[in-house]
Amino acid sequence: MASVRLEALAKWYGDVEAVKAIDLVVPDGQFTVLVGPSGCGKTSTLRMIAGLEEASGGRIFIDDRDVTKLPPKDRDTAMVFQNYALYPHMRVRDNIAFGLRARRVPDDEVRRRVVWAADLLDLGGLLDRKPGALSGGQQQRVAIGRAIVREPAVFLFDEPLSNLDAKLRVEMRTELLRIQRQLKATVVYVTHDQEEAMSLSDVMVVMREGRIAQQGPPAEVYARPDSEFVGAFIGSPAMNLLDGTVADGRLVAGVIIADVAPSDRGVVRVGIRPEEIVLASSIEADEPAVTFDATVELIEALGPRVVLSLVPPHGSPMTAVIEARSAAALREGATARMAVRHDALHVFPARHQD
Amino acid sequence: MRKIAALFVGAWVVVVAFPYLWVLAASFKTQKELIDPRSFLFVPTLDNWREVVASGIGDSVVSSVIVGVATVTISALVAVPGAYAIARWRAGGEVARFGILLSEVLPPAVLVVPLFLFALNLGLRDTLAAVIASHLTFVLPVMTWFMVGFFDGVPRELEEQALVDGHGRIGAFVKVVLPQVLPGIGAAVIFGFVLSWNDLFYALILAGGNERTLPVAIASYNTFRGVELGQMAVAILISVVPVLIASFVVQKRLIRGISRGGLKV
Repeated sequence: MASVRLEALAKWYGDVEAVKAIDLVVPDGQFTVLVGPSGCGKTSTLRMIAGLEEASGGRIFIDDRDVTKLPPKDRDTAMVFQNYALYPHMRVRDNIAFGLRARRVPDDEVRRRVVWAADLLDLGGLLDRKPGALSGGQQQRVAIGRAIVREPAVFLFDEPLSNLDAKLRVEMRTELLRIQRQLKATVVYVTHDQEEAMSLSDVMVVMREGRIAQQGPPAEVYARPDSEFVGAFIGSPAMNLLDGTVADGRLVAGVIIADVAPSDRGVVRVGIRPEEIVLASSIEADEPAVTFDATVELIEALGPRVVLSLVPPHGSPMTAVIEARSAAALREGATARMAVRHDALHVFPARHQD
Repeated sequence: MRKIAALFVGAWVVVVAFPYLWVLAASFKTQKELIDPRSFLFVPTLDNWREVVASGIGDSVVSSVIVGVATVTISALVAVPGAYAIARWRAGGEVARFGILLSEVLPPAVLVVPLFLFALNLGLRDTLAAVIASHLTFVLPVMTWFMVGFFDGVPRELEEQALVDGHGRIGAFVKVVLPQVLPGIGAAVIFGFVLSWNDLFYALILAGGNERTLPVAIASYNTFRGVELGQMAVAILISVVPVLIASFVVQKRLIRGISRGGLKV
């Protein structure tokens, strides 16, 4: 396996700058996920690593080998596309073996590796079928099998789970992770689904408008978003965002009033994760926290947790997620006393454009 | 509802089939029976068939086959890469997609004079080579246009997958893209062959002497002494039956190719 390094990588489509000189290190043996809304440049970046798009600027290294100008076949990557791109005229067996044969691997070695991949992915009974006779989930496995038999330096995944139904998607997610750990594979994975990104990644790279908005371990990105965009994009239900002002180290955003670091000032946006809004009774009296009353408009039960739609006396409505057990006493239409710990308040500079 | 539909289809079959049946009957009639509209009942004779076979129609069939095969072979060799370039690489922009059919709009009379002069100057007059060259002017564009529709139907990812899997551009094309459009190439070849097979105009003017193709041979039954209807009917059957069979084979793909080529802009 290998690491990937991007240096000032840029992509122009005519006058549109899709990728704006990004620098990124994809660590060896780790699962790196590029995530962002459509048009953020994540797929262009992946396709440049694969060599399917020419880089307009910057350089791409795979293990210190400069591959920027190399054709795709010489980069030693394997790719899994959203629509699987199985060769319709070949049996599953030949689909999986295709890349090995292209690289003139001896026949008995090809057979051995196809069997190995089929075992790993539970494809044994399907080897002599044509792709048209497989379900979506099975096609997905074949596509992954075709990638892993090659034992490439880097795996590239372009939204591979988007065409599967919700249940299968979660199953395949687990399976992908299992295979990645087993092979200690270097993976670059593109998705627009933040939940998928959170659950799969060792390193999560959030992209926006051709730039990297933030990168790091997913838990860290989730807990300490650098910007309002990252805070709002990552997490479900979405982060609450309130308009507020800071003056003399004091933040006022509707019912949220707290002392904050003096570095923040002026008009701001305050982000609060739904699970950080808790019942006031559940925190210790001496913890620094903001407390406020709000009307509980709706209670949506999600099993272990419930989602509360809260309407404070003034300011924007908020969403809170609390344990179902502690929500037993709440009634729709009644008032509840809620609290937010000070360290759960994310203060972002106000955005001007949107 | 179903009965009415069946009635319509039945009526349509009669309308379509009637000329074929008439020609078939005519091939077994004597000249006298042919000009008598009341001759529903007649004693079939093989005289017309004997005459036609003896007249060397076989040579014309061979000529037509040579011209057709040569035309579609050259056309396929050019049309397949050409259509791929137009479909995948937008060669010639969106204009090429339809512009390629412009030559079809030209009346053949416009092309035939320069083609005739070319043939004359090159010493190719009254040779099949001249006919083949003229047939390329309408078979090649149609086959290209036809193939564009099929190449459009091949997902780009398939080719990209082959590139990542270790092939160059040509390898990816040959191993992965080409197999997807083989049925389309087959249909285009049959279609192109039929176009060439049916041509009378170019074949008559460029090689109306010794190297007669089948349509020219058929036309020659229209003589100074009148139309040899019975023999002509035999020649028409020889010409039409292969086309009928070919049409049945390709009809589905023909429609697919034409609608794809036309709709996807």
